[in-house]
Amino acid sequence: MDAVLEIRGMSKAFGGLQAVHKFDLQVKEKDIIGIIGPNGAGKTTVFNLITGFIRPDSGEVWLKGQNITRLKPFQIVNRGLCRTFQLVDLFKEMTALENVMIACFSHRASQQRSKEEKSWKVAMKFLEEVGLANRFNEQAKNLAFGELRLLDIARAMATRPDILLLDEPFSGLDAEDAEVLSSAIRQMHQKGQTMIIIEHRLRDLLKLVERVVAIVFGEKIAEGTPQEIMSNPKVVNAYLGERRE
Amino acid sequence: MNRYEDMFGLRVFYRRLIGLAIFSAIVLLAPLVVEDLYYLEILFLCHYYVILASSWDLLSGFTGNINFGHAFFIAGAGYAGALLNLHLGWQPWLTLPIGGLIAALFGLLVGTVTLRLKGPYFASVTFCFGTLLYKLFMVSSKSLGGEEGLSGISSLTDSPLGNYYFSGLFMVAVIFVLYFISKSSFGLILRSIGENETASEGSGINTTFYKVVAFIISATIAGVAGAMYAHAQMHVGPEMAHDSLSALVLMMAVVGGMGSIIGPIMGAYLLTLVNESLRFMGELRLLIYSGAVVAVIFFAPKGLLDIFTRGIRRAVGQEREKAV
Repeated sequence: MDAVLEIRGMSKAFGGLQAVHKFDLQVKEKDIIGIIGPNGAGKTTVFNLITGFIRPDSGEVWLKGQNITRLKPFQIVNRGLCRTFQLVDLFKEMTALENVMIACFSHRASQQRSKEEKSWKVAMKFLEEVGLANRFNEQAKNLAFGELRLLDIARAMATRPDILLLDEPFSGLDAEDAEVLSSAIRQMHQKGQTMIIIEHRLRDLLKLVERVVAIVFGEKIAEGTPQEIMSNPKVVNAYLGERRE
Repeated sequence: MNRYEDMFGLRVFYRRLIGLAIFSAIVLLAPLVVEDLYYLEILFLCHYYVILASSWDLLSGFTGNINFGHAFFIAGAGYAGALLNLHLGWQPWLTLPIGGLIAALFGLLVGTVTLRLKGPYFASVTFCFGTLLYKLFMVSSKSLGGEEGLSGISSLTDSPLGNYYFSGLFMVAVIFVLYFISKSSFGLILRSIGENETASEGSGINTTFYKVVAFIISATIAGVAGAMYAHAQMHVGPEMAHDSLSALVLMMAVVGGMGSIIGPIMGAYLLTLVNESLRFMGELRLLIYSGAVVAVIFFAPKGLLDIFTRGIRRAVGQEREKAV
């Protein structure tokens, strides 16, 4: 099967710091891929590059056979690639429902909605899917941290993405919230949603994903199944440091 | 009962709509009580400033892109209306919409160039445009009357009462249009841009497009108001483009409460009436006026509307507690 998303030789430097170096990735339909790496490995930069928030120095991003490298973030969303944010900083003074409605007003979501369907009803459906329907009228600033993560996912899903990118969804969550989130992600995947998840909390991530890409200092050092990655000496070294002889 | 009944604060929406209807009725009936021409003139000024402050609010209050040059559109359209009237004999029914159209074009140009940039660029450029126009009016003594401005423009209507009604109806129409815009999906998108433009863009919203459209609407309304003012005064002068007018409009919105349309209406009325009622104090007036504005901003940073609604909520809450 052809790749829905293909990243070819993408590089980005900030001054003298090479944040991402010749990064390649192929994502097929219904894949659920994890990108792991220690703090500062360049994971979020990869997301920013794919979603148009940062322009790469070199390399290309292809989505369903279209080159989206130089497109603006909103254009990329409307072509079917949407992300969540690591620091969940949504529309705080707006209600949970209004937060999701904004995504329903995007060009892509509007086109996929029939004229009779009201945007708030569609938004409510996405809130129901992440279990936040009973909090629809609550201002985002009053939601708990775990709820905000779910709200951000509902917002991103409301843009009807072909590929959903989750940026450290588990960071800052306790075990209970992490389980709620895991089950929401599992459900989305069962429905056929293609996903890429960045995470440094390996325990939660490795239970979810089928394939893992490990990066260190902006460079891919390994790719494989969770078992392969966990036994890869390069990955172990990157996380734990080299064993002294 | 449907659990979504009050989902978008519909009760608040209708209550405010009823409030606006009552306000409109008061505006229309006021001349029955206020017969003195001087007071009618002051109320005309209130209408004028309400239009300016609420139109400013649509872009700046909602999206947080502060426009420091609202006077550019007000004066640009005012002078355009004056010139068309003086040289071609066009009457207000034609010069007002054309003034608005010219302001809209300028809004499109300035907005397209600056609103795609984030940060202080928009504020700086709008400020420069206003100042530029002021200087242009000052130096163009032959064609634009220089410091003296242009006089002899046709009056807006036949009488001060006519001017009052014209401006009153225009103000009420503007308020209703802006209020409905603010409650529409367009208004919600503008609010999302003000709260977090990155997240809005990340939700597939072309934020530049929405900001430019809001700016064009804002500029158009300010332009029509500028042309209206020029005809009502039968004179235009460079002070119309002065940055003090832009600052005054901004202050009215801030004092009333930005991003609410209703807040700037309160701010415009309050500041105009306070300013006029302090005239007998001479130079001291500016000191008291400025002090009062600073005090309001200090004690009510979200504006008077916020204090007002919180007060009502508290009162209603206490009533409910008593009932229980």
